[in-house]
Amino acid sequence: MFKSTLSAAVILVSGLSTGALAQTDVSVSMTAFDNPFLTIIRTAMEEEADLLGDVTLNIEDAQVDVARQLDQVNRFIANGADAIVVNAVDGNSTLALTKAAKEAGVPLVYVNHPPFDLDQLPEGTTFVGSNEIDSGTMQTKEVCDLLGGKGKVLVIMGPLESHASLTRTKDIHDVIATPECSGMEVVEEQTANWKRGEAQDLMTNWLTSGVEFDAVIANNDEMAIGAILAMKSVGMNMNDVVVAGIDATRDGLSALEAGGLDVTVYQNAKRQGEVALEAAKRMANGESVDRAIWVPFEPSPEEISNNIAKAPTISTRND
Amino acid sequence: MLRGGLAVAARGETYLSVLVEVTSMAATTHGIGGLTFDPKKRELPPELGVALALVLIVVVFEVLGRLLMGDSFLFNTREGASGFLNTARLEIIILQVSIIGIIAIGVTQVIITGGIDLSSGSIVGATAMIAMSFAQAGDIYGNPNTRAVFIDAGLVDLPLIVPLIVGAVCGIVAGGINGLLIAYTKIPPFIATLGMMVTARGVAKWWTRGQPVSFPTESYAAIGLGLMPVFIFAVIAIIFALALKYTIYGKHTYAIGSNEAAARMSGIKVARHKVLVYTIAGLLAAVAAIVLSAKNLTAQAGMGMMYELDAIAMAVIGGVSLSGGRGSILGTVLGALIFGVIISGFTFLRLDAYYQEMVKGAIIVGAVVLDQWRQRYGASKA
Repeated sequence: MFKSTLSAAVILVSGLSTGALAQTDVSVSMTAFDNPFLTIIRTAMEEEADLLGDVTLNIEDAQVDVARQLDQVNRFIANGADAIVVNAVDGNSTLALTKAAKEAGVPLVYVNHPPFDLDQLPEGTTFVGSNEIDSGTMQTKEVCDLLGGKGKVLVIMGPLESHASLTRTKDIHDVIATPECSGMEVVEEQTANWKRGEAQDLMTNWLTSGVEFDAVIANNDEMAIGAILAMKSVGMNMNDVVVAGIDATRDGLSALEAGGLDVTVYQNAKRQGEVALEAAKRMANGESVDRAIWVPFEPSPEEISNNIAKAPTISTRND
Repeated sequence: MLRGGLAVAARGETYLSVLVEVTSMAATTHGIGGLTFDPKKRELPPELGVALALVLIVVVFEVLGRLLMGDSFLFNTREGASGFLNTARLEIIILQVSIIGIIAIGVTQVIITGGIDLSSGSIVGATAMIAMSFAQAGDIYGNPNTRAVFIDAGLVDLPLIVPLIVGAVCGIVAGGINGLLIAYTKIPPFIATLGMMVTARGVAKWWTRGQPVSFPTESYAAIGLGLMPVFIFAVIAIIFALALKYTIYGKHTYAIGSNEAAARMSGIKVARHKVLVYTIAGLLAAVAAIVLSAKNLTAQAGMGMMYELDAIAMAVIGGVSLSGGRGSILGTVLGALIFGVIISGFTFLRLDAYYQEMVKGAIIVGAVVLDQWRQRYGASKA
């Protein structure tokens, strides 16, 4: 927002909000400012705050450090924030955050990354995000359709400690266990830590060791793209194999158009940011909200393309 | 006779003056001023300058807050708030720096000997993981904690003393290795502790293969509860402030940093003392790790990342000279408070996160530049 600031004085003044009357003060701690996907959420909150007009937004960067995040939340409380939004660094580290906000009586909204005790969150605490069970299930059902219900599958997982990665992988197995998809079989399953480069190396290793497969299911688009790059570099015909990712990032959609990627699932980061801010504002005004507010994943590629076209924030920011 | 010289010395530079006279060494090192000790020429304590800077920064935030936010930084202006001072903010100012402050107390002593410790952040990570894995509760909300590290061996709900001893051993081993490498292989402290920084981070990740360790027992969590970290920080600061000022340990630490050759010639066992100083730094990093993981109710392999640099910055802002021989625990504590005030002030002014780091970096460099000027001015005066 404050892009054209030049002098130090201007930077200082424009970096400050105006503290006007009847403003709802919402303070936000994001896991990282340099993550493209989370940047969509952050930008959506900033835009939503501008739109609402009566919300003063204050966003800080936890730099993937759970301790820094807790200090930030404590500072927000000391500052008299009306509501706090936390994009948790780790689902297991939320206990101290929840306790701090609850003791201070400040409403707390978790966004995108669910706390481990999602079904036990106390009054005044809520979670806004997408249900990971949907993403992996949609993805695998789509692959199952494309394969006609049978085939050998390679699975590329995210980090082993990631809730999203573990849930998405469990979804794959759950779908394969259903009668319609019982002809499918997971032949290999390893992690590439969300990273394109690591997935490329992993796929190359599989290819050189002669693993036979009909589909590659990755926990996110970046890793699916890594697998595609590895397959292309050995001259594989991409029509012979089904590749699936999740997130519908900008690169993922490009790969979808180019024909390498066959399936991706759109996680609506923009909507997550908007809903989180709305929930924070409502809670600050004394309304009660559900313990969890789900922002649905969206399956079909056409829908995704339309969504991207309608949401310029995503196409410009997610690069 | 030498012991007499030691007793006279109150500070590193005066000690050196006496020492140089005794050993007839014509060494002038590290920008130390006159070679003779004249009480009238003693400059004001450097801590006074740091304290003034602290007050100045607080005043700046108070004024900016009233001008721009219509709110006070230190005092309660909000309706319904009780008390004169905004105690919640004062608490978080100290609380958020007390853990890195504990590390900084160890690092200060290392820097006074003329060394550096880059490994403290990684020691925090490794110790937090290892100690916390011996401090896990057996159940969460009435369900068994199936993800506990040593659940198969039944090592859950252990008495508090177990993780404390395990943590202390981690810190002593890591710090001890640093000290032994530096004292006996003569490799530069920068390299030795850089190696430990990488190795200890590796240990932190390897211990549970990257999985976070969460859900400590209540007795362990109590270490990080409320203002407990501040209390621990204060106790450790007082212990080492007294040790540096009034014990042989302290005199030797300053002597080695002022002039290592002179210290050795005057009979100080330099190598042995260095091992001790680095071991203490490692132990204090371990204490910080235990308090940090208890406060956050979790240990993660990435914990403590970059803490070594914040700790060094706190010491340097507090007037500890990177060339050794100068500095005090009081200075470092003030340096830590400056850090805390700045971070809280930025949040108070709703300064965008983008600008926070830029300004913080500038303040660190600015503080050292000012200190250099002060030193040069002080030296030319003497």
